[in-house]
Formats: sequence, structure tokens, C-alpha cells
Amino acid sequence: MPRPRSLQGRLLALILALVGSVWITTAILTWRDVSHELDELLDSHLAQAAALLVAQQAGEIEDDDHGINAPSLHRYAPKVAFQVFHEDRLALRSSNAPAEPMLALGNGAEQGFRTIAIGGAMWRVFAAHGRERDTRVFVGEQVDSRNSILWAVLRSVLTPMLFALPLLVLASWWAVRQGVSPIRALGRTLAQRQPQALEPIALRAAPTEMTPLLEALNGLFQRIAELMASERRFTADAAHELRTPIAAIRAQAQVALACADDAERKHALSSTLQGCDRATRLVEQLLTLSRLEAGSAPAHSSLDLGALVREVVADLAPLALAKSQTIEVEAAERCWVDGEGTLLSVLVRNLIDNAIRYSPPGARVRVSTRNAAGSSELTVEDSGPGMNADDIERLGERFFRVIGSGESGSGLGWSIARRIAAVIEAEVRVSRSASLRGLAVALRFPIGAVRGSDPNRTPK
Amino acid sequence: MRILLAEDDPLLGDGLRAGLRQLGFQVDWVRDGEAAERELRAQAYVAAVLDLGLPRKDGMDVLASVRRAGLMLPVLVLTARDAVPDRIRGLDIGADDYVLKPIDLNELAARLRALVRRAHGQPQDSLTAQDIVLDMAARSVTKAGVPVVLSGREFDLLHALMRSAGRVLSREQLEQQLYSWGQEVESNAIEVHVHHLRRKLGSALIQTVRGVGYMVARELPKP
Repeated sequence: MPRPRSLQGRLLALILALVGSVWITTAILTWRDVSHELDELLDSHLAQAAALLVAQQAGEIEDDDHGINAPSLHRYAPKVAFQVFHEDRLALRSSNAPAEPMLALGNGAEQGFRTIAIGGAMWRVFAAHGRERDTRVFVGEQVDSRNSILWAVLRSVLTPMLFALPLLVLASWWAVRQGVSPIRALGRTLAQRQPQALEPIALRAAPTEMTPLLEALNGLFQRIAELMASERRFTADAAHELRTPIAAIRAQAQVALACADDAERKHALSSTLQGCDRATRLVEQLLTLSRLEAGSAPAHSSLDLGALVREVVADLAPLALAKSQTIEVEAAERCWVDGEGTLLSVLVRNLIDNAIRYSPPGARVRVSTRNAAGSSELTVEDSGPGMNADDIERLGERFFRVIGSGESGSGLGWSIARRIAAVIEAEVRVSRSASLRGLAVALRFPIGAVRGSDPNRTPK
Repeated sequence: MRILLAEDDPLLGDGLRAGLRQLGFQVDWVRDGEAAERELRAQAYVAAVLDLGLPRKDGMDVLASVRRAGLMLPVLVLTARDAVPDRIRGLDIGADDYVLKPIDLNELAARLRALVRRAHGQPQDSLTAQDIVLDMAARSVTKAGVPVVLSGREFDLLHALMRSAGRVLSREQLEQQLYSWGQEVESNAIEVHVHHLRRKLGSALIQTVRGVGYMVARELPKP
């Protein structure tokens, strides 16, 4: 795995690379511009000097036939040279100029600039002649001198820049460091947090770029906190709810131990067993609820609601028969619903179990499924006492028990039913049964009906 | 001692009733808060065991309202609500003891005896009148240091009289103390038990106040 790159280092490298390339481009442009301007200026000086010499020769030098060496007047003079020829004879030259013409005399037509090599050095030479073409003037200048001017100019431009470079590096480093300081602050804050700390992070003056990151983090913390709270609530609820069955088991066992009478002891012992069964059922319910609250989305598949209902009713019928209750199923054909089989049957079982449990002996319980417009419906009705509006309101609160029902229960069945309904996106409606006068609980599966209306669809 | 048990869980209620009966209590069992309040107001119980999560009316509300009504009997709250704020609230509202489920039956009985004792201003788990000593935990009676064997009812009757020593108790009051619901009370049951007690413990112990009831004097009047 490559070493993770530091954001700060990357920013610094980018900034320095950008600044460097801007500098180099500037230097190149300056070089071109200055050399062009310099050539123009110096060339014009050469031309002007040549013109002066031509004019002077026309007026002054008439008969003096031997070449005169003009004095060198300045220490820069050796870099500049001139020659004046009159009628092809050298009339005047600078001390550093050769005796031979700088440009070969020949056709005499040439006039203008040339760059030639004289004595191992490059010279820029301007040739001019008088009107009668008897006077020729050559003015030359060492190319080196131009280059040194150019270099001097570039030096003056680049030297401060070179000195500024380390300063710039330092300044950029500082600026980048300042810029990324909120990220470092976030890192420090996170590192210092206790593992249990789940309150949102508040960074003072967090830049807008970091807001999405912070929001995502805080959202995550909140979800974890909710999960942990639900976990804690589950543990507390479980411990709380198990106290009563365990107390019952303990009391009954103690009674059995102290009993002198056989019938009484038998009763106490069978009550102890009942208590164990109840505790087991409670644990199962609590685990179901906890799994549901952990919110793992189950895989959906298409299920035949009628078949599922018949299966559950077959399981529960003995309970109803033991209470001399009548239980009937009216299942419509092809009533497909979308859901997870196990969850759905836990849900249906809870509803039917409640109806049997909370209806008096001899009551009627009817389970029906039907295809309604855009949905499938499952209804569990009974001829029991029903519920008042307040109780219906409170149904599904954890551990809420319908008062005066005389039935034992943890009140968890409804919590589980509601939760499953939410997970498989079914709608629960509780009302008074129109036909049986007891409680009616209807489940509506909106998507299932759409699937169910597809005649080509076959169940898994 | 007749106590009221308010517990909605059938298995636990059944177990507690059977267990407390074994330990010498007369137990009336109600399964919801309204019934608990009604019975507490109507009957003379020596103590009550109250669950908090009761249907119809929460145990806390029952407790608050019987305390408001001026009932002083000792109330032991037996509950699954283990949070400290719940315990504090229960005790502040008027519980004399706050016990978490599950509990050992013997401990529950001992706590109830302790509550009753304290309510009657006795420091020990025994009652003394004249030369009779009644040990509530052991359910034993001695006369001048010699153990006397009593039946359950006889013990309960003596207990009721000695707990209120120096006061006259009517036959109805004694019947209420001795019999829980559903128990057949014969019309002369109390007279029969008094007769047996007098035979076993001496005729001077229990005095009859005609037209009013019976009384046990703490000390025999000096001749």
C-alpha cells in the first residue's frame, strides 16, 4: 500500500510548482522582450554613428590618404569599432578596428547590418556609404556586450526572486498549515473523544468545505447513539420483564418444596413449569423484537397470504379449541404479498394469538384475506369484548397490556406485530369488527396487490 | 394475619398466595389496582403486598390514594421496577418497604412480620401478655416458659388479640383477621376457638365483654 499523501504537502508542492512555472515563463518572456528592444536600440545607435561618420568624411577628409587611428576615449570603447574608407582607402579607424574592411569590399552595394566573426569574436557591423559611393563606413559592436546587458537585466529581475524563494516556501508552508488547521483540529477532537462519547462534534469556525463531513460524522454518531439507546432499553426491558416470571417460578418452587399435601405440591410444580414456558416465550419475543429493532432489512419475496394464514391457523387452532372457540379462515385466491416469510408468519401468528387469547371462551375468531383495490388485506376479527378508543391508541406501546383482560402477557406481542408491519411496509388498522362486534385488526399490503394482480407471476 | 396481595400475574399471584399461606398468613388476592384500592378501603388488613404494574390502576396511584384516605396499614411494594427513582418515589408516596422481584418467600414473610410489628410499636418478633409469649416467626406459644400446641386458627386468633392487647375486638373484626375470602366461617367459630384457647392457656387470659367482643389484658389485675 502506498504511503498516504499529506494534504499539506500536496498543497505546498502545487503552490510552489505553480509559482516556479510562472517565474520561469516571466523570465523567458522578459529575455525575449529585452533582447528585442536592446537589438533595436543598439542597432539604431550603430546606424546613427555610421551616418555621422559618413557625413563627417564628406566634409573634412579630402586628401589625407593614410588612415588615422581615432583615440579610444572610454573603457568600453574596445567593444565598439569603426572604419572609414575613402575611395577604397582606409581614412579613419578606431584603434581596435582592423585595417582591412570589416565587410569585404566588392560590389559596394551592400548597406545594412551583418553579424560576422572578427578575430575570434562575434561582431554586429553596420555598413554605410556616401552618396557618391566613394566613402564607406563600417561601425561594429561586439555581440558579447549585448549579451552581457541582457544577462544583467535578467539578473536584476531573477536575483530578488531567488532570494524570495525560500521566504516564499516558508510563507506558503505557513499559509497551507493555517488553511488545513480545521482538519487537524477535527483529528485531535476525534482522537481525544472517549469511546462512549456520542454527542455531536462542534468545531468552532469550521469552514464550509468541512460542513458535509462534520454533518455526516454527527449523523453517524447520532445513529450509533440511537442504536445503543435501543440496545440499552432492550436490556433494561428484558431484565425488567423477566423479573416477574422468575419471581413466579421461584415462589411456586418454594411452595412445592414446603408443601405437605400432594395435590398442592403437584399444582405448584406444574405452575413452576408453566412459569418456565412463559419465561422462554418472553425471551423469544424479546429476541425477535431486538432483532427487528436492530433494523436488518430482510429479503423480500412473494408469498401466498392464504397459504400462510392456513398454516398459522392450523398451528393455533388447538389453543382456540381448548377455549371452545370457533376459528374460521376465509382466504381469497391468489392473494400475493411481498414480504419475508418468517417475519410475516410471526406477525400473523401474533394477531391470531391475540384474538384467541383475549376473547372469552366460546367466542368466534375469523381470519380473512382479500384483494382490494391496489392492495391485499388480511383481517383478524373476533367476537370478544373489543377495546375502547383509548386502549386502541395505546396498543403497541411496549409492555402495554389491555386492562382487565384477565390474560397474562408481556404486552410485547403487539410491539412485535407493529414493528414487523413497519419493516415489511404493511399498514395496521385496529377497529371494532362490524360483523363479530369484537376487535378487528386489518393489515394492508400495498405492493403485494400489484404483484398479485399479475396472472403470469408464479410464487417461489 | 390477614393480608391483601395485589398482583396481576396469575402464576406469581398463585405462588405468593400459596407460599404466604404456608407461612401462616391469611391472603386475599386481587389482580388489578381498582380492586386493590376497594378492598384496602373496605377491609381491615394487617398489611398489603402491592405490585406496581397493575391493570386498571397503577400500584403507585393505589398507594397514593389509600394514603390520602388516611389508611395507615403497612404496605410492602413488590415490583419489577428496579430503577432507583422508582424506589424513591414508591417509598415517598407511602410504601413501608420496596422489594424487587424475585424474592424468597421466607424473606417476604419476615419483612411482612417486621412491618406489622413496627406498625404496632413492638421491637421484637414476639408478643407478651401476662405469662404468655407468642413468637410470630416460629408460630409458637409458651405459657410460663412451657410450649403450648395451638392449631393454626387458634394461633391466629391469639395473635390478633395479643397484637391489640388491652383493646376489645369484636367478633366481626376477629373473623376478618382470621379468614380470607372464600373460607367458610361458621357462625360460632370464634366462640369455639376462644373456648379452646381458654382451655389450653387458662380461662383468665381472654376476657369476654358482653355484647362487644373479646380482649386480652397485658397484665392480670392485682388481686
